Amino acid sequence: MRAHGVSRAWEKAAPYILLAPFIFHITAFFGYAFARTFYFSFTEYNLFASPRWVGLQNYVDLVRNVQFGRALRNSLQFAVIVTLAQTCLALILAVVMNSRVRGIRFFRAAYYMPSVTSSVVITLIFMWLFQRGGVINYLTTKFIEYRAPIGVFIACLVVIQVLLVLRDRAGGWPASWFEPAFLLMSAVFSFVLVLALQAARIIGPNPNVEIVRTVWLNTRQTVPGWAGSLAVPRPLAAIMMLNTWTTAPTMMLLFLAGLQDIPRELYEAAAVDGAAPAAAFRHITLPGLRNVTYLVLSMGLISTLQMFDQVAIVGEQAPRESVITLAYFIYSNAFPGSAVPRIGAASAAAIVLAVFTMVLVSLQKRITRS
Amino acid sequence: MRLDEGMAEQDRRAGAENRRKLAARRRWAKAAAVYVLLLGFSLLFVGPMAFAMLSSLKDNPVEWPPRLGSPQLSPANWVSAARLGLAGGGTAFFGQFAPGAVVPFSITYEVDEGGEPGTPIVRVPRRVPGAGPAAIIAEPFAADDAVVSEVREVGRTTTEGVVRVTYEFDIRHVGSDMVYGKLPLDIEVPMYQRFVRATLAPNRIERLGRVQSWNNVTSGVIPYVFYNYHRVFRENYSRATGKNLFVAWIRNSFMLAGIKVVTTLVVASMAGYALARLKFFGRNALFNLVLFSMMIPGQVTFVSNYLVLRDGIFGLTRLFGGGSLINTWTGYVVSTMVGGSAVFIMKQFFEGLPTELEESARIDGASVLKTYSRIMLPLAGPALGALAILTFQGTWNEFFWPLVILTSPPDKYTLTLGLLSFRTTYAVAFDWGPMLAGTVMSALPIVVMFIVFQRYFVEGISFSGIKG
Repeated sequence: MRAHGVSRAWEKAAPYILLAPFIFHITAFFGYAFARTFYFSFTEYNLFASPRWVGLQNYVDLVRNVQFGRALRNSLQFAVIVTLAQTCLALILAVVMNSRVRGIRFFRAAYYMPSVTSSVVITLIFMWLFQRGGVINYLTTKFIEYRAPIGVFIACLVVIQVLLVLRDRAGGWPASWFEPAFLLMSAVFSFVLVLALQAARIIGPNPNVEIVRTVWLNTRQTVPGWAGSLAVPRPLAAIMMLNTWTTAPTMMLLFLAGLQDIPRELYEAAAVDGAAPAAAFRHITLPGLRNVTYLVLSMGLISTLQMFDQVAIVGEQAPRESVITLAYFIYSNAFPGSAVPRIGAASAAAIVLAVFTMVLVSLQKRITRS
Repeated sequence: MRLDEGMAEQDRRAGAENRRKLAARRRWAKAAAVYVLLLGFSLLFVGPMAFAMLSSLKDNPVEWPPRLGSPQLSPANWVSAARLGLAGGGTAFFGQFAPGAVVPFSITYEVDEGGEPGTPIVRVPRRVPGAGPAAIIAEPFAADDAVVSEVREVGRTTTEGVVRVTYEFDIRHVGSDMVYGKLPLDIEVPMYQRFVRATLAPNRIERLGRVQSWNNVTSGVIPYVFYNYHRVFRENYSRATGKNLFVAWIRNSFMLAGIKVVTTLVVASMAGYALARLKFFGRNALFNLVLFSMMIPGQVTFVSNYLVLRDGIFGLTRLFGGGSLINTWTGYVVSTMVGGSAVFIMKQFFEGLPTELEESARIDGASVLKTYSRIMLPLAGPALGALAILTFQGTWNEFFWPLVILTSPPDKYTLTLGLLSFRTTYAVAFDWGPMLAGTVMSALPIVVMFIVFQRYFVEGISFSGIKG
């Protein structure tokens, strides 16, 4: 009887035994830490002397702090633009990836490659690509040099495609505007045509093209010029491209899983009813992906709002105020190099970042649900 | 009338036949279009890294215009490098410049007809390699023992108004005992004389084409092709201990990632099981805390965590005679032994398992702990595999927290921090060769792991939807 009682108590304690290390960890390194950040945000503290209560002073100072305003603005621009861009790119990738062709595993691996390497590796490689004499500027120069042949190629492609589709439709076939068979044919025709025109010296590369020497990182310019106050600092735009490129494949995997969960019968039924592929995409694919989209958007917002690595890695190579984000603002106030740590300001900014994350995620939840 | 019907029937059949052929053709075309798109996207995603990898072999990765190829990729140069390595007294793969070595070298120039080619001036320079850390590595100069023979003209051809002249010479080691690691070479010619080719392609052409310059002509194949990689290992050493830093960083990253995989698997599987299957007070609150912790960035909590480690986890380390845990691996492991997302993954996985096995075990009288360790854990293989891979990758790539707590000395760094220090070592001097070599080397383990365990990576993503 007593042995039974002991084992009962033991059974009751079992969950806590299993959870003990985790509870210790999450309490000490998350719960306590979060509470303490909240407390520090109302104090003046420099890591050495004991904290002194100052009430809301830190928050008031933040509002007046120019650097903080820039950080907040950069973070929000970054979060919104990158989340939208990577979600769209990921959706396109997933739809292409979802076609049943051989070798899809190879392509999936290839796409996912940028996502497995570290932010330091990727950012350093990007800094190299975005040099003044780097590959990005080289490719832009080449593009400008070959603008005429490329333009002719695209114009030909569109014209031939339209003619082919119209001919088919006149013959009673329901050809789509993006009929792949015709696209391939038009592309080959246009390519041959452009080659012929080049050989005949009617069109050709621009011989006196000016070499593009855009400074991507070490500049205070904003892009695009016409966007006025909504324009993004150019170094931040470069980091946006980088981030979209590295995270889109992860999101693609999620979309791909979502697409594979949509029953194929739905598409077959739609095809029998004579629905165009575009209609099927709008009425079957998009509603079927609603949950995944919610997940992708939340993850995107959370991870882009806390962007830190790229700013720290680019470091002195770009003007501080052009790339600073909330996360970096917090870090640089807590560990300002040779100056005295301003833990109060850092903590207040940290609380602002946490609140923004929660507000944006719940806002986005409400929008996607409706 | 019947004839007409027959023809209509034939027409219909022909039409159906045509339609089937057309449909088949369109399927092919669609597959082809999909492949074109897939290949285009692959280029977008793999291209930059592949190009970085190719460029990490170049003498100058910021050349204009950027090219795909480089002399280091040409088999002819490999053969020459091997021959020169052997001639210098080393092996074909790793050369040197040893006593008694005779290194033959030939070089060809051209001038426009009417100009007289001048005999090249050959020098073994006393060159300090590179900028930054390399500049203070003291080592003997091969110039002390190298003697260049007379430069002989061995051939001359004239084609279409251009005169080509080939010269030969030897470099001899005339000393008695010094073995040199490298034999640099400079060859200078008059202004109008153009370089055509040499036994080994030069590393640099300087002064508007007048000087061809080699870092090390007797390097052997490996240091020739992987010159930048060689520099990464050679130039990054601790000033205090003289130990090789890059090796230390790789070892640290491997060790920390390995330890963290173990702690994460143990702690997360226990906690995940408890959250998924057991009833206890505060379960919902704990799970909400897990979700909340996954949302909050590390920058919000790091000040307190830094203080906790600095004060030795509420003074606990003093019991064991330790002090501050800043700049210690213990501190790093304790503060990151498990993440909210790992627990979340394990919980999701255990919730997906059928309950029957557990129930029958409980009926047989097995305790909770026994059910967990003997029945549920063995079933969790796939999830543990995916979690192990994700944790390893996450730790290997982690940047922020090591940046905060592993600040000095440099041999405590992880590989990501080491790479960051390259920025101040090399990037300021636009010396991108070693930078790219370093990034390639630090990406390599993860890329290999990804290729081998691709399935687990993908599973890990779909388990959790959370990366790292």
